[in-house]
Amino acid sequence: MYGWAFLVPLFSVLAFAIVGLAGTRVRRLEWGGWVAVAFSGAAMVVGVLIGVGEMVNPGTYTDVRYTWLHVAPAPGPFPNGFSLVVGTLVDPISALMLIVVTVVGFLVMLYSIGYMHQDRGLPRYYAELSLFLAAMSGLVLSDNLLEFFLFWELVGVCSYFLIGFYYEKPSAASAAKEAFIVTRVGDIMFLLGIFLYFYNYSQVGPGGGWAASGFLFTNGSAPFLGAALGGNSTLLTVAGIMILGGAAGKSAQFPLHVWLPDAMEGPTTVSALIHAATMVAAGVYLLAVTSLFLGFTSTDQLAIVGIGGFTAFFAATMAVVHPDIKRVIAYSTISQLGYMVMAVGAGFAMVGLFHLFTHAFFKALLFLAAGSVIHAVGTQDLFKMGGLRKPMRLTAIAFAVGGLALAGIPPFAGFWSKDDILAAVYSQVGSHPAYWPFFLLAFAAVFLTAYYIFRAWFLAFSGEHPRDPGLPHAHEGPWVMQVPLVLLSALAIGAGLLVFIPGFQSLLTAPTLLGAGVGGIPPVYGTTDLLLSAASVALGVGGIGLAWLLWGNGRVYVLAETSAAQPMRRLLLNRYYFKIGYDWIGAKGVYSVARAADFVDRFVIDGTVHGFERAFAIVSDRLRRIQSGLVSDYAAYVVAGLIALFVILLIVAPYVVSKLGGG
Amino acid sequence: MTDLPVVGFVALSAALFAIGLFGILTRRNFILILIAIEIAMNAAILNFVYFGAFSGGTGGLTGQAIAVVLIGFAATEVAVGLAIVLALNRLKGTINVAQATDLKL
Repeated sequence: MYGWAFLVPLFSVLAFAIVGLAGTRVRRLEWGGWVAVAFSGAAMVVGVLIGVGEMVNPGTYTDVRYTWLHVAPAPGPFPNGFSLVVGTLVDPISALMLIVVTVVGFLVMLYSIGYMHQDRGLPRYYAELSLFLAAMSGLVLSDNLLEFFLFWELVGVCSYFLIGFYYEKPSAASAAKEAFIVTRVGDIMFLLGIFLYFYNYSQVGPGGGWAASGFLFTNGSAPFLGAALGGNSTLLTVAGIMILGGAAGKSAQFPLHVWLPDAMEGPTTVSALIHAATMVAAGVYLLAVTSLFLGFTSTDQLAIVGIGGFTAFFAATMAVVHPDIKRVIAYSTISQLGYMVMAVGAGFAMVGLFHLFTHAFFKALLFLAAGSVIHAVGTQDLFKMGGLRKPMRLTAIAFAVGGLALAGIPPFAGFWSKDDILAAVYSQVGSHPAYWPFFLLAFAAVFLTAYYIFRAWFLAFSGEHPRDPGLPHAHEGPWVMQVPLVLLSALAIGAGLLVFIPGFQSLLTAPTLLGAGVGGIPPVYGTTDLLLSAASVALGVGGIGLAWLLWGNGRVYVLAETSAAQPMRRLLLNRYYFKIGYDWIGAKGVYSVARAADFVDRFVIDGTVHGFERAFAIVSDRLRRIQSGLVSDYAAYVVAGLIALFVILLIVAPYVVSKLGGG
Repeated sequence: MTDLPVVGFVALSAALFAIGLFGILTRRNFILILIAIEIAMNAAILNFVYFGAFSGGTGGLTGQAIAVVLIGFAATEVAVGLAIVLALNRLKGTINVAQATDLKL
């Protein structure tokens, strides 16, 4: 049955082909949307079946693969030869991810029918969204790093298309470019990381190690365990840092975080998909897969924990003051991804993926709820909204559920996974004191998270009426928008509790147990440290309380507008000037290099070519004048030639011959 | 005649050839150019005659025979040349070669 896993990406590719090729020829534009919904629904059925199957038979590795290119053994750098393969690998991790991708993908697709129905270019939208899902499910099912990289790039280009969906808007076009270029920095590092790993594992291990099997994650029915093979530790450390760079680009971790808030220029549904199931999830998934199959060195682990913990706090601070409802949620995504990265770095890859799992549902819920609000009132400015809880009861409840899950209030989904991460990292600070500051940063971010998400809720939904009287009368969206909200609310409440179902838990424990050689750390599920849990819940409740004090009942906290906090606020709204700094690097640094290259191209290379051309033109122009058409001129040339011949034969040639010694 | 120095004969034919060449290069009248060509050609024919005589034996006869044949060639050549002069005159209304420059670019 697992052999049919390829159907998941195939369905989405079919939807892409049908909607993309035939979409513009059908007059009723919603038609393409329903095709895409139907195919993503079919993909969801297969995906969830695979997930359930993996829960029933935990720890199975099913690798269906075809050899794409085989290099025979030969003396040289790869004495054992190697193969490049394509295939699908169904294992506990990919099954977990497959559930996330297909369920969230289907719900977002369904929601789009209602949210997007007034837009132009709908066939393009549904085709690109389908391709996005196809790429992400292909990435999740990849059985080797090279195939992984191909889908990784496909995910990147799809996000470029979709962020720039409103390409007439200059801000959207530049946001799309920004997302593509910033993640490209990470992509290059990822590729270098693959090469370094491949080189290392081709030099060690039985039968040429990795080189013989290609870039495979599996070794028959069990995972390929690189850490057990060892190798050059410096090389492995650098390779791990490169993989971290790739993941930081895709998952918007510091210092490559700048693109994600700007990616809000795309439709809200696209944001929901990027932030929950595709794109940013790919980076964390890459880290988790690398951690489980290849293993990180302790230096890498510290770097990953550092980046993750710092990003969790750093992004949360920027969300605190932002007036744009979507950007607040965007910063919260960066922050939550930081938690996941930190968990993977501390050696708990599956804990990180568990948070990815729950986060996907409540983050999609938050975005779709925010989308309902935007759809209803036509603005993203929180300070113009207010009192929306009365006309939009369902959306208000859904946003609150998402917010509670994000804030880590039990029993909502976020509590279980976030607490697992905190407990997991806390269990390591004893043996790794360097983790302390990052653990504390992440812990403090719990408070900020609860504060900023409920600040957004109170600003949008509490009070009596909107602050801007010019807003249109709000109303709930059509049923296609409400159904995903209800389903995702249920998942945002219940997804964390799934961890108490033995089958689901086996998804999380199986890879760690199989890959016992990797880190050798037992998983942490269901919190074991009650004091830690109590502290984090207290922080979360405190954050919500502060938000209520400052913004509840339609209050607007004006202290920030007037006081000494103003410079701080400006710093946060300008995102610590990172974007300006990167723009400066782009405008000055890269542009100067480009100017130099342009100069070389224009004047040195083109100059040589044009110089030859001009020289020949001048010479031929002079030579042309010889042809006067006058017979006597030609006769004169004949005579001149004759004289020259005499001179050469009778004077020059004998002279040369005598100089050469008489031949 | 064989006691005369050979360099005198060669100088004579060289002078004749130079006169002919000068005419070819400087005249613009086609008929004058033809005449100049005849002068240059006669310089060449003259060479056959006296180099044949200097070589002794039957060489003198051989040289004279070649000279007679070449005079015949020169006559045919002049016939062709005059035909071209006529054609040029019909085409351009002149026999000035400076006017016949249609083949230049």
